[in-house]
Amino acid sequence: MREKIRASRSFGRRRFITLGASGLAALSLPRAVRAQAARSGELVAGLSERMLTLDPANHYSISATSVHRHVFDPLVDVTNDSKFVPALAESWRAVNNLTWRFNLRRNVSFHDGTPFNADSAVFTIRRVRDNTKLIKSFVYQDIESVEKDGDYAVVVTSKRPFGSLPAHLSMLGMLPASAGRNEDAFFQKPVGTGPFRFTSWTHGDNIVLAANPSYWKPGIPKVEKVTFRFVPELSTRAAALRAGEIHVIDRVTPDLVETLKGSRGVKVFDVPAVEAQRWIFQLAKEPVKDQRLRQAISLAIDRNVIIKDLLLGYGRPVDSPVPPGLVGHTTLPLKPYDPEKARQILKQAGYANVTLDFVLMKDLYPKQLEITQAVAAMLGEVGIKVNIKNLEIATAREMRSAGTYDMFFSGWAHMPHDPDWYFGQWFTRAGSEKLTRYNNPRVEQLIAEGRVPDPKVRQAKYEELERILWDEEPEIWPYYSVAIYGVSDRLRNFEPRGDYYVLLSDVGIA
Amino acid sequence: MRAYVLRRLAQSALTLLGVSLLVFVVLRVLPGDPAKMLLPDGAPQSAVDELNRQLGLHEPLPVQYAIFIRSVVRGDFGQSFQYRAPALRVVTERIAATAELALAALVLTVAVGVSLGILAAVRRGTRYDYASTVLAVLGQSLPNFWLGIMLILLFGVALRWLPTSGFEGWRHVVLPAVTLAAFPTALVARLTRSSMLEILGRDFVRTGRAKGLAERAVVLRHALRNAAVPVLTVLGLQIGTLLGGAVITESVFAWPGMGKLVVDAIYFRDFPVVQTVLIFSATVFVVINLLVDLLYTVIDPRIRYS
Repeated sequence: MREKIRASRSFGRRRFITLGASGLAALSLPRAVRAQAARSGELVAGLSERMLTLDPANHYSISATSVHRHVFDPLVDVTNDSKFVPALAESWRAVNNLTWRFNLRRNVSFHDGTPFNADSAVFTIRRVRDNTKLIKSFVYQDIESVEKDGDYAVVVTSKRPFGSLPAHLSMLGMLPASAGRNEDAFFQKPVGTGPFRFTSWTHGDNIVLAANPSYWKPGIPKVEKVTFRFVPELSTRAAALRAGEIHVIDRVTPDLVETLKGSRGVKVFDVPAVEAQRWIFQLAKEPVKDQRLRQAISLAIDRNVIIKDLLLGYGRPVDSPVPPGLVGHTTLPLKPYDPEKARQILKQAGYANVTLDFVLMKDLYPKQLEITQAVAAMLGEVGIKVNIKNLEIATAREMRSAGTYDMFFSGWAHMPHDPDWYFGQWFTRAGSEKLTRYNNPRVEQLIAEGRVPDPKVRQAKYEELERILWDEEPEIWPYYSVAIYGVSDRLRNFEPRGDYYVLLSDVGIA
Repeated sequence: MRAYVLRRLAQSALTLLGVSLLVFVVLRVLPGDPAKMLLPDGAPQSAVDELNRQLGLHEPLPVQYAIFIRSVVRGDFGQSFQYRAPALRVVTERIAATAELALAALVLTVAVGVSLGILAAVRRGTRYDYASTVLAVLGQSLPNFWLGIMLILLFGVALRWLPTSGFEGWRHVVLPAVTLAAFPTALVARLTRSSMLEILGRDFVRTGRAKGLAERAVVLRHALRNAAVPVLTVLGLQIGTLLGGAVITESVFAWPGMGKLVVDAIYFRDFPVVQTVLIFSATVFVVINLLVDLLYTVIDPRIRYS
């Protein structure tokens, strides 16, 4: 697939000359006319999850983020290879370990004409910290103060180092300060600074956005109108794509790829996702609290079979708990498949007739039941019996809180493109209290030290802690996920995102 | 008659109160925590506790129920946890889609189901009867999900006659309505057939024919009217079911109706939305059944309520 992306990005000499000539011609036109001339057509995207809110601070939904990115701009943007790049902040730097300074872009307006400035940024960040009813609020609780420094700079100080702040801000769309006057009314018909303006929202069905002709990024957007349709059922999403009603769909599963590839006018894109699958252990519970048993389980699982036969190649072997591209990723030796050694360890440790409960959150991850059944068979080979408990999500999570499981099928999409949240949540005593009951003071210390802004320090700390995790195996990382999209061949410049977002600002249609 | 209606209305109010209590208790007995479902997987426990407090779920259950009933009487069904908007607004936004689909399916059910039933009864033992039996068996045995997907693939993808999904114009309602109507149409066809067969064998039908009435008048005016009572009962129950939302059809066709809304709400433990939908559905059910009971007197003058 990487070849495919590369092929679509590369173009021949003739096309280069044609584009160059038309580019030169376009340059001679005034900017507004140029943008107008370049913009035409409309796009329809089919998203897998229904958007529930237009408030960017009140969800961690990937589909909602896809929509919101078109209406609201964050301070910091993140590229597909997890690099943080300027959006509404032109630059930012860590003044010290507890202070970040963001220099804001000038001459940017909200869709209603209100200028974007430091007041907007201060309002947006303070709001998400102070209104604890907002879903994203808990992430910002370490913030001590948010102050403006002139009209175009904001200084954020925190109670403890907050190195991942720019990463988190890439998920927080900026609002005008006036939104605070009547939030309910504002979010019925919101304004942002994004490339598209909100037009209408039919709840549960679709949201329609129209191009913002005075967007601050020249030449964007490429189309006049974007409609996001919410089609949770994959077979329906795929049918709409094949019928030409929708131009791009997300969350395609491996077994649908061949059907889509065989459909006229449809292409399939896939890209490594910033998501690692993880099967967690209940570390306070016998017998899986024993590292030897966990090691035997790990050795008994043939990850390649899962990737090749069940995921049809749409998964990648894991060489570090953090996926490639993110700070902290390192290359560790792949976990081997050695059932003989697993049997030996079990025998030496005196484990005979071990039975484990493996809990699944029903229908959450593609192929999870088949994969778990395969794992149960693999573990059966070395004498471990597995009870699969495929439960409704809320019930499964309740079981996890109560600690009444041995293994739990889970995953972690690094939505902010930063591993601090993952480590802080799962490998600190307070964070994992109602989850896995992980407890290792050295790891906890490294996580705290890795919260500083300096990426070099963070990399070093994370590498050390990942080596510890790799030995302890407090969870099994069976594979990194792959994001698959179905796309109409009429789309131009579509980039499949590893964070599952469907971003269409820079996409045109033939 | 008036006393009967008043008595039935009073019974209905009691039924609805019972439903509200049952829904309230069952939702809270289910394992699962609303804040945990709203927050991303693995959010800190402090955030879960804080959000539960914000949602008013820290109060004792009897207090929560009292607050709920007091608000409902004032027309306030609480704030949806997921949508952060009044639950009543969230639900009423879906009523148009649900009603449109239910109505279309109902029209199909009555038109096709009753016609097939009459045809099968009148032409008993002929190929029309067998064809209608086959159709009825298919309609009752094909799973909605499969039928919906097949219709989409045939009429949406292969022939491109109709849109595959969505909620916009009348063309969008055709495939979901056919899918949704398949089962009740088959049911009504079978029931109309057996009911008609019974009536067509009665003396008054023979008398009608003997006095020279046109066959059309015998069947439609005399026999059908007498055969309609059991059909009407089933239709009344079906309307309640259709208006309560058709989860599978709505999922397959991405139809923004109440069925999918309530299933998602149960999944995410959005108590106010589940309560509102179920109380709404129960009300519709109770009212439709009352109306059906009253309609009996219009269709069959022998039925009297006192």
